[in-house]
Amino acid sequence: MIETPEFQGTHLWNRLSWAKENLEMYRSEYCVVYEDSMDECAKVLHPDPNWMACALQGGILPPVTSYWELKKDEAKPDFVKHTRGPELLHNMKPIGPMTEEEAIEYLIMKDVPESVWRDWDKGNQPKMVICKKEQLPPTREWRNAWKIDPELKVAA
Amino acid sequence: MSVLELNGRIFDASTTGTLTLTGEGGAATTDVTQGLAKAWVNLEGTGSGVPARDSFNVASTTDTGTGNYSQTFTNNMSNDDYAHNVSGRGSTVCFGSPNDGGYATSTMALYLFNVSGSLVDATYAIATLHGDLA
Repeated sequence: MIETPEFQGTHLWNRLSWAKENLEMYRSEYCVVYEDSMDECAKVLHPDPNWMACALQGGILPPVTSYWELKKDEAKPDFVKHTRGPELLHNMKPIGPMTEEEAIEYLIMKDVPESVWRDWDKGNQPKMVICKKEQLPPTREWRNAWKIDPELKVAA
Repeated sequence: MSVLELNGRIFDASTTGTLTLTGEGGAATTDVTQGLAKAWVNLEGTGSGVPARDSFNVASTTDTGTGNYSQTFTNNMSNDDYAHNVSGRGSTVCFGSPNDGGYATSTMALYLFNVSGSLVDATYAIATLHGDLA
């Protein structure tokens, strides 16, 4: 396995360029199905194969809290542009290698609405499930009617 | 400052991190960094859940419904005023467009339409983004 250079202080985008050149894509067999509105169909999130390679390699990605801070900044009414990119993305110590499970948990906390993942198992039925791709419907027929099965039994 | 000359074209990497080269005609310089695509993705639009075939600066892709997909960035954009081009390839796809509701510094979203203006899935859904990085 190739060794990750010391990347703290290197622009994150340049780290991604290094990863694209040096790491093999990793296609996870897992995806995340979630519902963030009762009126809309279920959404299906796939980890990007290049991102997964970075996550498994370690030493490239910032901690997920960096993205939370950027989201807070963007939510401010006087937001014009990000000014804390260097502090939060490029100069922050990169996190180490993750397992596939840890990477998907990180991605859920980064890219799924917090209202979904904080209380995914509260309420009458789960709002989010991690499943294998083969468990999705095999075709996209009736895609806009996809919902999480209310009878689904999930393990915490 | 580092300067490299190749066949009369001068590449100049400044101490502020910009990279310029002499433009057409040789008189003016072009900022290379500003011209680069900062993110791109090629999606399997007809795949179950619309996974990415390949990409750059994308952390995840989300299938939101028929002809309606979004992608999140690994390196966020500085603001949400970026330029984002969308296209698709498939027997019924006519044109693609950015999804107005999907503009954020962390996300780009796209729609694909048929000739009647209805959302459709594409065999290939492709998006490229130019703008400033955070």
